[in-house]
Amino acid sequence: MEFGISIIFLILLYASPIAAVKESSEFNEELYVRPMANGLVNTFFQFTTRWHYGDRENLHNTQLIPRPIAETLLLYDVKELHIGLTQGLWRYETYGYPVMDNAPGAEVRAWFAGENLTSTDVDDQWVKLASTFSGILCASLNFIDKTNSVEPKYSFRPQFVTGSKANIPQFVRYASLPREIVCTENLTPWKKLLPCNSKQGFASLLNSGHVHNTNYHSLGMKMRTICESYNKNCILEFTETANMVYDPKLLGTNGDFSLRRLFGQGLNGHCALAKSSKIYVNLDDQPYDLTPTPMYNVTSRRGGSTTTLGVYDIQRLDEDKFFNIAWINKKTKANVQITPTPPLYAHRYILGHGQERGQILTQITNKHYAALPIVLQENIPWFVPSYMHTLKLIVQPENGAEYTIKPRVMHYIPGVQRLRPYHLELLFEIPALSTVQISFDFDYIFLKWLEYPPDANHGHYLGSAIITTQLPMGRNYTAIPVDKHLFADSFNASRSSYFLEIRTESLILSLPTPDFSMPYNVICLACTVVALAFGPIHSVATKRIVVEQKDAQPQSLKGKVMQKLFRRKQNKTDTNTNKAEAHAETVFGHSIADVKQ
Amino acid sequence: MQTIGRLLLLVCTLLCILTQITSQEAGNQLPEKYVESVQRSTHTNNWAVLVDASRFWFNYRHVANVLSIYRSVKRLGIPDSQIILMLADDMACNARNPRPGQVYNNAKQHINVYGDDVEVDYRGYEVTVENFVRLLTGRTQNGTARSKKLLTDAGSNVLIYLTGHGGDGFLKFQDSEEITSQELADAVEQMWEKKRYNELFFMVDTCQAASLYEKFTSPNVLAVASSLVGEDSLSHHVDQSIGVYMIDRYTYYALEFLERVQPNSKKTMGEFLQVCPKRVCISTVGVRKDLYRRDPNKVPITDFFGSIRPTQISTGRVNITLEDEEDFINAAIAAEEEAAKRSTFKVEFPSQFPSELFK
Repeated sequence: MEFGISIIFLILLYASPIAAVKESSEFNEELYVRPMANGLVNTFFQFTTRWHYGDRENLHNTQLIPRPIAETLLLYDVKELHIGLTQGLWRYETYGYPVMDNAPGAEVRAWFAGENLTSTDVDDQWVKLASTFSGILCASLNFIDKTNSVEPKYSFRPQFVTGSKANIPQFVRYASLPREIVCTENLTPWKKLLPCNSKQGFASLLNSGHVHNTNYHSLGMKMRTICESYNKNCILEFTETANMVYDPKLLGTNGDFSLRRLFGQGLNGHCALAKSSKIYVNLDDQPYDLTPTPMYNVTSRRGGSTTTLGVYDIQRLDEDKFFNIAWINKKTKANVQITPTPPLYAHRYILGHGQERGQILTQITNKHYAALPIVLQENIPWFVPSYMHTLKLIVQPENGAEYTIKPRVMHYIPGVQRLRPYHLELLFEIPALSTVQISFDFDYIFLKWLEYPPDANHGHYLGSAIITTQLPMGRNYTAIPVDKHLFADSFNASRSSYFLEIRTESLILSLPTPDFSMPYNVICLACTVVALAFGPIHSVATKRIVVEQKDAQPQSLKGKVMQKLFRRKQNKTDTNTNKAEAHAETVFGHSIADVKQ
Repeated sequence: MQTIGRLLLLVCTLLCILTQITSQEAGNQLPEKYVESVQRSTHTNNWAVLVDASRFWFNYRHVANVLSIYRSVKRLGIPDSQIILMLADDMACNARNPRPGQVYNNAKQHINVYGDDVEVDYRGYEVTVENFVRLLTGRTQNGTARSKKLLTDAGSNVLIYLTGHGGDGFLKFQDSEEITSQELADAVEQMWEKKRYNELFFMVDTCQAASLYEKFTSPNVLAVASSLVGEDSLSHHVDQSIGVYMIDRYTYYALEFLERVQPNSKKTMGEFLQVCPKRVCISTVGVRKDLYRRDPNKVPITDFFGSIRPTQISTGRVNITLEDEEDFINAAIAAEEEAAKRSTFKVEFPSQFPSELFK
């Protein structure tokens, strides 16, 4: 009987889109608005599709999940994929921690798992996977290959589940393209992956003109599979996120803002395919009055901190008109809003001068009153030869003298020019209330002529370092727990510790750039020199020099004039008659000899 | 189970008929003459390859050029999947652009040619001579995404538009390499040999543009260039607020013409070849027709700039009734319950942090 039902279920999955949508996939749209210190506003969109697709064969028949995503799972052994496309810098000290962290530029990381999968297979699949998504997202992800990918050992742990079968080989790959720009051409295909496209629901708020004028914007994509047993009875989670930081003052207001002001238009209802469509508004110590007031409030206690959120359930609204929320400054300016300093943040710099030697310095600051465990990952391109014997970890306590420490574990894969990047992972503990400086030296090198990009003088980019840690408390922390998928799941999600991922700035390195017009200049100069030398030598070699006596110069003015006139006449007759015939005078009055042909 | 299958078939047929009825209504609006010309046309699909070969902010105008053509072909019906857009630099989200995400053809900001749903297939460093020639000849590297391939066939009308800095017999790519007219001609010849086009319209806006089509030998190629050999192509005007030239003259007037073209208009290629007379263009527009068999004055402009395919309209109706509706619903409910049971299973995620190494 059970077998019979499962057959029916399978057939339905294959054949009936209407029944299958109801039973196996759900789509949720969420928007979180958080006014920050300095009057900035953080808006975070999350679109989550969760599809219980059962067995692998069912991936052929997609409903809410976009087809290319399901097909990637069929083509490659990828089980988890994160892609981030970011413009701008997330400033942890003033913004706090984002829900989803991404490095500037493009960033891709994927987990592969499968029976009999080898590292070589994964290398091949990884390049093809990146190339596939370069087409899907209109980004230059096809530049990802072995020369800029690393295999982190400690920084990333799987967020997918292969199921009960043990000993399935798992591989992770990570690459970042810090130079990548993010613009409308990325937003368009990103929106097209949503069930309602950009026509309806929260995605209709994401219009290019109002996304790219922000201080920071980041498009994210996350996909993972969760299986009960290997490739059997699986769930596919596909999450798209858009994280933006607006400056309402730049939008021409006195600090008040509204959905319409931020996104250019109000919300035109919800996506009809969505199970829930909710806007969450942070209400903690806000100097704003909200119109309309939230439908209800939610209090989230997480890791010792309490957050109050106002909720607007868009599905319960009257659909006819555009929905708008306005944040209006309270009349009384009593409370000044301060974002509490996050417990951990980091910066990165290039030190040194000249174009011979330099130093990369990563500075991690711990503002917490206890030591924190840190995993630091550095991904240095092959054209920055780094010297690990110069690696130094210096602790600078807030009060007290600085001292050096040794990492607990160090995982280092030296780079090879043109073949693989330098990959460093360090595990150490950062003492309470102190800063750790991690530094190592590198050389500036010349590249081959054709390896320089067309805009070589712009400089070369170095991707962000990734710092992962485990926080004991949840202040400032909004990330979604690994076992959950909605933003709303982060409310009251108290755990014993909170996994945090932060990134440093990406660096720009000005490599010594040759003057590309040099060959041209050399040709010009050499030719000029040759021509200058050749003329006289040719003349000397081929012409005969004859010395002739010259008439005495007339002394009187009349004589001089007469001679000039006479000479001109004679010149004319010379050119008209035989050129080979010599004339006694020279064009220059002072010379006494003339070269004759 | 059989009944379910039959039912589904019926539902599908019903849907097909419904869509046909709607398409029929739309189809009736087309003028008879136009439908006829579409039925007679020799091609079955349209593709466009639009290339901006220059980088750097001061070449804003070249990006505006190529986006003008992009906007027009998209508006006239070529889908994004059949447009290969190559932009060597990012002007819309450039830090120097005070209007992020927007590129205009005019200092008065008449038309935002970047639009709200642009899809760039090759951008930045990807715009190279190698990639361009690989694209045309279909020799893309293994693993290239579908949207980066020119999947044309013997029935495709292809529009190739190039803009950038050129000279006598070459066009510069990103200030670091060039494509020569001979290489272009060879690529087109290879396309013809591989049956990758039916007709090809080659359009180029650059200095000494006519030199780029001189070496062509392949049949069914119509070419137009913004300037003759020895002439410069000139830009239209400066936007003082951003300090760069907005667009080139030839493309400015081409866009002005194309903006008036509708998907069902009767304008011809012959008219398009005369969009920029010398008094407005300053340079002389060069045209090469000797390889092209048809009379451009009789070729609708939508043969290259639009995408209309022959359609057959059926007027017959089929009546169907749904049988065994109850069985269908019951089966769906049963499946739903079964799926709900199966979808709630316990999983354990590995720890996200190697805390064991810190003990």
